[in-house]
Amino acid sequence: MFDYFCAIGNMGWAFVKGLGVTFKYLFSPAVTVQYPYEKLTPSELFRGALAFHPDLCISCDMCVRACPSNCISLEAKRNEQTKKKDLQWYRIDFAKCNYCRLCEEICLTKPKSVHHSREFELTFTSRNDFVVEWRPERPQPKALEPGQEWVKFLTQGRPPGRRRAKSPEGKK
Amino acid sequence: MNPLNPPAGVINATADSILSGPSFETKMERLSETEMLLNMGPQHPSTHGVLRVVLKLDGEVVTGAMPDVGYLHRGVEKLSENRLYPQVIVLTDRDDYLCAMLNNWAYCLAVEQLLKVEVPARAEYIRVLVGELNRIASHLVLIGTFGIDIGAFTPFLYAFGREREMILDLLDQVSGARITYNYIRIGGVMADLPAGWTEKAGKFVAHMRACLKEYDDLLTYNPIFLDRTRGVGILSKESAVSYGVAGPNLRASGVPLDLRKMAPYGVYGKFDFEMALGKNGDCFDRYLVRRNEIEQSLRIIEQALEALPAGDILGKVPKANIRPPAGEAYAHIEGARGWLGVYLISDGSLQPYRMHVRAPSFISLAVLQEILKGWKVADVVAILGSIDIVLGEVDR
Amino acid sequence: MSFQTPWAVLGPAVPSQTPEGIRRRYQRSVLLVLFLLGAVVLASVWLGEPAIRFEALMSRLSELVARKGWPWWVPDFVRLIVPCSLILIFVQLVPVFVLWWELKVAAHIQVRLGPMHVGLWHGWAQPLADGLKLLLKEDIVPAGADRWVHFLAPIVAFVPAYVCYAPIPFGADMAAADLDIGVLFVLGLSGLTVIGLLMAGWGSNNKYSALGGLRAAAQVVSYEVPRVISVLPVVMWAGSLSLSQIMAAQSGLWGGVIPKWFIFYPVIGQVSFLIYLICAVAETNRVPFDIAEAESELVSGFHTEYSGMKFAFFFMAEYAYVFLGSALGAVLFLGGAEPLPLMRWLPTYVVFFGKTMFLVFVFIWFRWTFPRLRVDRLMDFCWKFLLPWSLVNVLLAGLVFLVRWG
Repeated sequence: MFDYFCAIGNMGWAFVKGLGVTFKYLFSPAVTVQYPYEKLTPSELFRGALAFHPDLCISCDMCVRACPSNCISLEAKRNEQTKKKDLQWYRIDFAKCNYCRLCEEICLTKPKSVHHSREFELTFTSRNDFVVEWRPERPQPKALEPGQEWVKFLTQGRPPGRRRAKSPEGKK
Repeated sequence: MNPLNPPAGVINATADSILSGPSFETKMERLSETEMLLNMGPQHPSTHGVLRVVLKLDGEVVTGAMPDVGYLHRGVEKLSENRLYPQVIVLTDRDDYLCAMLNNWAYCLAVEQLLKVEVPARAEYIRVLVGELNRIASHLVLIGTFGIDIGAFTPFLYAFGREREMILDLLDQVSGARITYNYIRIGGVMADLPAGWTEKAGKFVAHMRACLKEYDDLLTYNPIFLDRTRGVGILSKESAVSYGVAGPNLRASGVPLDLRKMAPYGVYGKFDFEMALGKNGDCFDRYLVRRNEIEQSLRIIEQALEALPAGDILGKVPKANIRPPAGEAYAHIEGARGWLGVYLISDGSLQPYRMHVRAPSFISLAVLQEILKGWKVADVVAILGSIDIVLGEVDR
Repeated sequence: MSFQTPWAVLGPAVPSQTPEGIRRRYQRSVLLVLFLLGAVVLASVWLGEPAIRFEALMSRLSELVARKGWPWWVPDFVRLIVPCSLILIFVQLVPVFVLWWELKVAAHIQVRLGPMHVGLWHGWAQPLADGLKLLLKEDIVPAGADRWVHFLAPIVAFVPAYVCYAPIPFGADMAAADLDIGVLFVLGLSGLTVIGLLMAGWGSNNKYSALGGLRAAAQVVSYEVPRVISVLPVVMWAGSLSLSQIMAAQSGLWGGVIPKWFIFYPVIGQVSFLIYLICAVAETNRVPFDIAEAESELVSGFHTEYSGMKFAFFFMAEYAYVFLGSALGAVLFLGGAEPLPLMRWLPTYVVFFGKTMFLVFVFIWFRWTFPRLRVDRLMDFCWKFLLPWSLVNVLLAGLVFLVRWG
């Protein structure tokens, strides 16, 4: 009989202890980050959306080969005067990219011509938009700050389809 | 026929076709008058992914069970046959997405065996650090989701939403990603630890210890939780061994087998830690082994932080064109769910000829058919939760 | 008290998590809550007792009827229809408020913030938005469902919840229908809801739902027994089945110090209250007794196949029962609208709602702390533990009252 009451007492005490933990946290400050209003700062090494600098690229194809998901493609033309390859276009399919840093690590230029930005809010509204294209004739990108709108760094690269429809060349 | 309102025969026909299908015809006997067939999954809140378990029920009691896997098959092993060696690491991240570091590690060990590369000491210690952190993160997922399966929601938000998140932040600072790290590389690791990281990790160890006490109060010694898990889904020593179960599930059955102890890889031989062991092999033991393993992992992390040497982080491995000599290698580590083995065949080219992953949760899943029988529907969820499967790894 | 916080280990992730930011936010919310509470109390004091106001209005209406020569039944009709409509509106609003209360309490227990966006202040309009969403959702009837049973189930589940509010005294003279058998009426009718759950389980043509419905039936029918027995000591002590008389019996003080609430009656009071509380949680199918819904086992049990407004009815029934169980507990054990000694200036309904919301908080607190029992253990617990002890309790109460009052 005594054991029976002891067991009930122990059980009750275990319940009270559990209730105590939840009650304690009822009055603790929350850990939530209210996302659209406050944003976390990504870590130094954070692998965000890929950024590309067309003027630095030497069209060596290393990133194309290093990419495990075949999301990078480029076309280069041999320049007879400088004996170098000139970049024609450089495309990244962000739908395929799995943010692994292999392209950045293999990149031969200094500073890296393709690298991860700290941009984590990359969004597209259509499947075609996922393919972003860079061309060397576009202006040089500015330095990428975290929290900067992703659109700004993508001004250098645009979906090929969209570009043709809106660019001034298209109107000619 | 109105497709939205088919006559009764059609609905019965689907149940019949499930039963008479080639796999279930052989594995499960026909339904008797009082039995019914219940499809648990692939969309079900507590099958931890896209697992389907076909249950034969007599009222609430399970009289037969058939796990059906393959809904998350992505062909990782086949894909790796036309990826370069470093690219396969990215695929192994996606195998067991709850402890990607350990997957990276197992694969890299196999390639290092082929290449016969020495890994620098600092890289080994960093591997231990991130690996153990990742193991804790994985066990925290079990604690949280097991709580949810049993019906307690709050431990999930403490373990999964707070502590695991902190580990992910720590690993993010190291590797730049939160889940798919691609951090452990052939011959070393991707990057050195950032400044101030070791202090943060040290603080985290103390924090985690305090949190474990809270989990105990909230979940481990809650009488309802004990009632739900003790003596439920007993996996005996013998059947655990005969099924080839390894890792925490095996240790819960009382078999002392831990690769970190038995066949130390890396620098595990230098650490002082104990093997968490269970007695009965029931759900509670499987849970408790993981909970205790977190403590042991914290001990290892503390020792590794103390002994962390300076030096290189990458051995002598070519930057591009890794071309191991022809041959084969098998490396296994103690993953968060058991023996995580990677078998590699190289034909001397840039890509593996064949890669095979010994996925621990796939083997644990096979036990289900045996240990589900005779328990209630509510216990099915508890047992499924306690054997801790990750469908990404099961289906690969 | 030490909290385990991520920012103590990893440093603040966002500016609001610095020590000053946390303190500022904390202070601001505490002040705001105090201010709101004060405003509500002041407003209620200013408004006074609604029962007295209603009586005044009614006497003026009677005069008006007498003067204008309106039909004789007009005052009676008004007396009948006004409390009914007020309760109908109230039962619609209770789930809204209790849901918000649950969302916020659950969130803070789980170190979250909960809804913060809708309604601009701490997501107060979230339940309303949810309700609107449910109204606009498509009503899906599964193929092969027993259509009429499927259609009727939510109504059968909800109507008793509404009717049960009739004899609850929300304050002094504030019961819609002050029945002499109030306790019996509430306990009896609230048991009817299980028929709705059973119908939902059967009518959905879903095995999970069927299991859930059957579990619900077994559970509610079983827990009804110790619940009723646990209420008996109060009834014996107060000598009445009328809720307002039970409440009146609890006015005054024991030894000039302790309020004369039944929960403070030595041993018997606490045991009956605990058994009542456990059974009330079980009756509402909430954790740790939510085997009928069992999100992780039976997906959602009996309401898996319900969407839109039909689902909302089940939902409202659940929250209405949470409030009802708390209200009944407050009336039976916490003295209902009887205020604490030094708080006589508070209007009675504020006291009543204060106690009820405290019990609702206990319900929520249980829900977010405990795991779920298994079906067979749940039955064991009811028949082998609660029932014997509630019987012993009744015996003890009978003996004590017999000895004391001869």
